[in-house]
Amino acid sequence: MNLNTQFVFDSKLKRNLMIGMAVGALCLAWSAVGDDAFYTRFWTNYLHNAVFFTGIAFTAMFFLSGQITAFAGWMIVIKRLWEAMSQFMLVGIFLLLVVVIGVWGHLHHLYHWNTPGITDPSSPIYDKIIAGKSGFLNPIFFTVGTVGFLAIWYFWAYKLRQNSLAQDKYETPSFDYYKRERKWAASFLPLGGFLSTVFLWQLIMSIDTHWYSTMFAWYSTISLFLGGLALFIVLILYLQSKGYLEYVTREHLHDLGKYLFGISIFWTYLWFDQFMLIWYGNIGEETIYFKERMDNYPVLFWGNLVLNFVVPFFVLMRNDTKRKAGTMFFAALLVFLGHWLDFFYMIKPGARIAAIEAMEHLEGGHHSGLKSDAKDLSAAPEAGEMPRVLAGVSAPVAEQGHKGGEQHAQPKEKAPAGNAESRAADHEKTSHEENAHAETQDAHAQHTGEHGEEHGHHEEASRGFLLGYTLPGFQEIGVLIGFLSLFLFFFFRQLERAPLLPLRDPFLEESLHHTTGVYIDGEESEHDHH
Amino acid sequence: MSAESKKVLYGLYTDEEQLKSAVKTARQGHLDIMDVYSPFPVHGLDPILGLSESRLHILGFIYGAIGALFGFLFMSWALAKDWPILFGGKPYWPVPSFIPITFEMTVLFSAWGMTITFYTICGMWPGVKAKILDNRISDDKFCIAFDVTEAEQRTISGFKDFFKRTGAAEVHEKTI
Repeated sequence: MNLNTQFVFDSKLKRNLMIGMAVGALCLAWSAVGDDAFYTRFWTNYLHNAVFFTGIAFTAMFFLSGQITAFAGWMIVIKRLWEAMSQFMLVGIFLLLVVVIGVWGHLHHLYHWNTPGITDPSSPIYDKIIAGKSGFLNPIFFTVGTVGFLAIWYFWAYKLRQNSLAQDKYETPSFDYYKRERKWAASFLPLGGFLSTVFLWQLIMSIDTHWYSTMFAWYSTISLFLGGLALFIVLILYLQSKGYLEYVTREHLHDLGKYLFGISIFWTYLWFDQFMLIWYGNIGEETIYFKERMDNYPVLFWGNLVLNFVVPFFVLMRNDTKRKAGTMFFAALLVFLGHWLDFFYMIKPGARIAAIEAMEHLEGGHHSGLKSDAKDLSAAPEAGEMPRVLAGVSAPVAEQGHKGGEQHAQPKEKAPAGNAESRAADHEKTSHEENAHAETQDAHAQHTGEHGEEHGHHEEASRGFLLGYTLPGFQEIGVLIGFLSLFLFFFFRQLERAPLLPLRDPFLEESLHHTTGVYIDGEESEHDHH
Repeated sequence: MSAESKKVLYGLYTDEEQLKSAVKTARQGHLDIMDVYSPFPVHGLDPILGLSESRLHILGFIYGAIGALFGFLFMSWALAKDWPILFGGKPYWPVPSFIPITFEMTVLFSAWGMTITFYTICGMWPGVKAKILDNRISDDKFCIAFDVTEAEQRTISGFKDFFKRTGAAEVHEKTI
């Protein structure tokens, strides 16, 4: 076995990734020229993928640090791949800088808290709740909490990488570098753990500005981690198909599969916790998040759970499936797409509402803290001036506003109770019938028909799902391909700069002979080969 | 597991690698090993011994599925059908609040089911008298045991010869 493997980033792969990036750029441009309010589709696509791939780089660094701190020897043969992935944070700084510039220059309306005048008591659009949060949700803190934190993380990742490359120069395996490596890795753990919460609150949770969840940072970080881990497994299998990493055995694959399996269950636990606490607590400003998603995005809501829980749970439950390249490739690919979709689900519904609210403010509309009021916009006469796409999308929710209208008439303290009943009823409806969405659409059509408004938008609404918001369309998939190509391009560039195997690592032998001690009937033994 | 006592010839080894190579030799010589004892799980011993994969985890899945169904259906019957109670403004059939308990029942049934099955298969029920070959097997000795209850003298000397060749530190005979 030739251990001194050097990865070669050949021109064919380079060309393919270049094509992928071009597709991404085209799709991004396509979503920008579309008839859309405040370029929301463009910005959400950009934010979604920028955060997702930067987050993958971060979690790669976090995982590597955790492994090093725990004296893990098994992963030394794939250590260089984690390192290469973590270096993408450098690109992430520039990617997220665009979002930050957008916040300062008001180029987008992703974040409702960034609307000018929203914290000014004399302004007609003054929002007391957002004003109360403005100590945290403001452009300065946003800048520090996104690119600032990312720069700190990248510094650590860079140091760890340099240290790892330096060990190649040692004549014999040495523990000197390892002591330094452990210092960087161990200090990164609290740094990454605490700062990542703020990072994700700022970038994603603040899209639904009124909403908050204490589980959110955990849930979304784990989602990123699983996306990264799944991509990592796919990349290992890809590199093996190209003749690299022949020393990565099914024992390593088995352990990666265990991580994918176990942490998928952990993700489900967090997902369910977030849902159940909010469902049980039944506070209107929290529940609206799930009501919106369950009513108008049922495919995303349930599909998320199927792809990220049911698939890894049942596919990876057995020992032997975790040791087969084909099954692992299939499962990892689905989980990767599942977590990409998870972020789609976190970002798109909220950003759409933020855009609708911004539109309302722009038209000098009245203030209301309730999102359902914003949906009345499409029923208002001015709706004709709204961009086509957004009007179409907001239509299904308009029906909610109609329902909510009765609640507004009630005394304030009674509102949550009324809300609860309708929500409980809705919840059952959604869990019983997959086509709750379609029903809402029909109800809306009736409702607007009664009021005899112009019907231009309703065709759009009755079409059901709207690509780009309720489900990823071609543009979204194109942008995913583009960002994935960018990520892989950078990853392979990093990979070719150093040997794939850290030959001077003191734990190398342990990793090469790693065994999980599992014996599967009919599987030829690999132990004799070493 | 049988109530009758057995005559057992066993050899003690001091190292796990020695044990593994001895087991390999025994398998090549078609010696019928009764059992192998070690103070800790020796990685890679199962395939050398020719043991098939354990099927206990399949039962674990079945027990877990039974537990999940039992927990969920019982709660549904008790709280939604037999005696409907409205809790905190939630529906009569509040599925999300059943899930934690369903999960716990899955784990409980799976764990208890597997434990009871394992003990039953191994013949370890309360009050059973332990058949211990040598106390040091749970400390630092590795043991290969042959059942010689009905063996001829020639076979026994063959076993003894095997122990000698594979470097067993001690060879004993014991009736358990």
